[in-house]
Amino acid sequence: MLSSSALRMPSGSGRRAAGILAAAAITALIGLIFWALQNTTITRTGSTIPVDIPHLLRMSAIQAGLTTLISVVAGIAIAWSLDRLKFPGKPLLVGLFASAIVTPGVVVAFGLITIWGRAGWANTVLNAMGLSVDSSIFGLYGILLAHLILDGTFAARILLSRLDANPATRLKTGRSLGLGAVRRFMVLDWPAMRGAIPGLSAIIFLLAFTSFPIVLLLGGGPANQTLEVAIYSSVRLNFDLGAAVALSLTQLVVCTATILPALAFPGSIAPAGNTNSFFWPDRWSVRVLQIAILGLGTIGFILPLLAVLVGGVSANLPVLMARPNFWQALGTSVSVGVSGAVLTLALGLAITLARTNLKSRIGRTLIGLPAYTYLVVPSVVLSLGFFLLTRSLGLRPQSVATLVLILASALLALPFALAILGPAVSAVAGRYDKLSRSLALTGWLRWRLVEWPLITREIGIVLAMGFCFSLNDVGVISLFGTDSFTTLPWLMVRALGAYRSNDAAIIAAILLTLCLTTFWLLPYLFGKLSNAQD
Amino acid sequence: MLRIENLTFAHPGQTAPYQFDLEVAPGEIVAISGTSGSGKSTLLDLVAGFLTPTNGEIALDDRSLLPLPPEERPVSILFQDNNLFDHLTVAQNIALGLQSTHGSEQAISDVLKRVGLEGYAPRRARSLSGGQQQRVALARTLLRDKPILLLDEPFTGLDAETASSMRDLVKDLTNAKNWHVVLVSHDEDDAVFLADRRFDLSGNQLTERAKA
Repeated sequence: MLSSSALRMPSGSGRRAAGILAAAAITALIGLIFWALQNTTITRTGSTIPVDIPHLLRMSAIQAGLTTLISVVAGIAIAWSLDRLKFPGKPLLVGLFASAIVTPGVVVAFGLITIWGRAGWANTVLNAMGLSVDSSIFGLYGILLAHLILDGTFAARILLSRLDANPATRLKTGRSLGLGAVRRFMVLDWPAMRGAIPGLSAIIFLLAFTSFPIVLLLGGGPANQTLEVAIYSSVRLNFDLGAAVALSLTQLVVCTATILPALAFPGSIAPAGNTNSFFWPDRWSVRVLQIAILGLGTIGFILPLLAVLVGGVSANLPVLMARPNFWQALGTSVSVGVSGAVLTLALGLAITLARTNLKSRIGRTLIGLPAYTYLVVPSVVLSLGFFLLTRSLGLRPQSVATLVLILASALLALPFALAILGPAVSAVAGRYDKLSRSLALTGWLRWRLVEWPLITREIGIVLAMGFCFSLNDVGVISLFGTDSFTTLPWLMVRALGAYRSNDAAIIAAILLTLCLTTFWLLPYLFGKLSNAQD
Repeated sequence: MLRIENLTFAHPGQTAPYQFDLEVAPGEIVAISGTSGSGKSTLLDLVAGFLTPTNGEIALDDRSLLPLPPEERPVSILFQDNNLFDHLTVAQNIALGLQSTHGSEQAISDVLKRVGLEGYAPRRARSLSGGQQQRVALARTLLRDKPILLLDEPFTGLDAETASSMRDLVKDLTNAKNWHVVLVSHDEDDAVFLADRRFDLSGNQLTERAKA
């Protein structure tokens, strides 16, 4: 028997209030962080080693610009190839590419070192033949390669969903008109993809511009240092908080200047709806090219991850297990991951449900805006703000480290959570709102009978993403971490710095396994949960 | 004559296959009715070459169409929507149907005049109404001049007046060009006004309706 009074879920006005509360809380938090940053600009503390901001800005822009260019081009090529080819295991490969967004940057960087480092796989094979790889993985080349692996596949997954959204009838029309490969790309593919490209480019640029662990591990020295790493160095190595704040404000200006023009373009990077069922392969000569592109993309993505797993399996596990800080790091990482996931989902649902209950477009924009904080306030800047805030409140930064980790991770995952939940909740509202109202389904009853069963999978994805983002954070812990308080990724970075490659190999494998398993398993289990209610 | 003989097809997981037999004479319009999922669009997909039958024959004037890929079949299709590429102009959409661009400007202008859209060539497809978009698609069909025309709910969503004028246009062009037309529609008016013969698709087979 259904009882609407048994458990109440906010309806109409309640949902709006919950969303406004969530948005206001984020805004207040960001306001406090800005206040802390602003306050520190005036009083520079610690040593005052000069920082070359123009050089750092140039390096950050070069690596982010090149990353964006090659990732978008690679993404288009891989999406185009995936769209045209049909083969066993294709859904698995597409799913693997989708998991690029949660694959830890430290793990990919470590995988690249395992393959291309001086004692890596490539040199082991080449040395046996009396040869060696001259180019070092450390430096701009390594940074670009690591970003390409993560961002190129991420771009491919987003663009593939745009191609999949081309209506079958339009493809049939194109095929019956005999469009060749080039014309087909220009008439059908490019128009489908181009709407997503400004937003996608902005996101990739920001991800690369604010990339911390990859530059930290593969940067190879001050010449390739970026703003993000310089902020970390200013706080942890020089304790020059004034310099750190100056760098952070520079970073904020660039990030804002990047995201605002992208918002002016129509189109979105959210999944573009149902996949069409019409398969139209190109002629054989074109298919050979597509097979080559896809093969290269697959090997490029899988090989570093495989290297990490192989390295983890063949390393000495008992040595790491004997270290007490490993267990502390594992416990912290998992608890932060779970808490971050739940907070991401709570904030994401509060904001999304409120937006669908608001008629005013301005209201919807205002409620959604704070959720995109991360796009302009990257994790190291966010954590610097928290760091300064706790100091100005007279607290020891370490005493609030766990809370800061959870809050920051949830804020990082929130834009992605909204991109996933938003279209799903809107689709349910668009289709069933009138019917639900006519049947007086409101509040908890509406949530349980209409919304929950239809967005369960998306909820699983958001939880998985929140967990992985929280688990993988390196930016926040780099400022708050101590010998006695650390997380798995930071323990791995420190193990690498101390040449304990055995420890790093196992931690990298654990991180990768945890992320991939969660990203695949949670949406699946939540989907099953929904089916079980049928 | 378009001949469909003992044409058999089953979707994955479908236990009882479709089996189609149909003949359409030049200048004739055949209407097919049936419930949703009865296989009407499957029949059109088979004739257009988007699906491959397990058995049977499709032939035009004794020439088998089965070995031909969709783009080489003598077939034009008009769907309910998505017949045009929104971002292209009317002229560009029509030109997609041409083998050569030589003299195309005049030819496009002529067919647009024929469908009552003179002067619309430079306009973007997305700026047209639903009825105008269908007319442009019909203009392209006219210019391609393929002997078989497949109509998949082409007048659904149009207002009564526009639908009526489109039906007139299709009827006139079919007679003038001797097209072989297969029309699939839920709308009784379409079938009553256009069809020379009517078929029902149920139980995976076509049955001809007796003339009233």
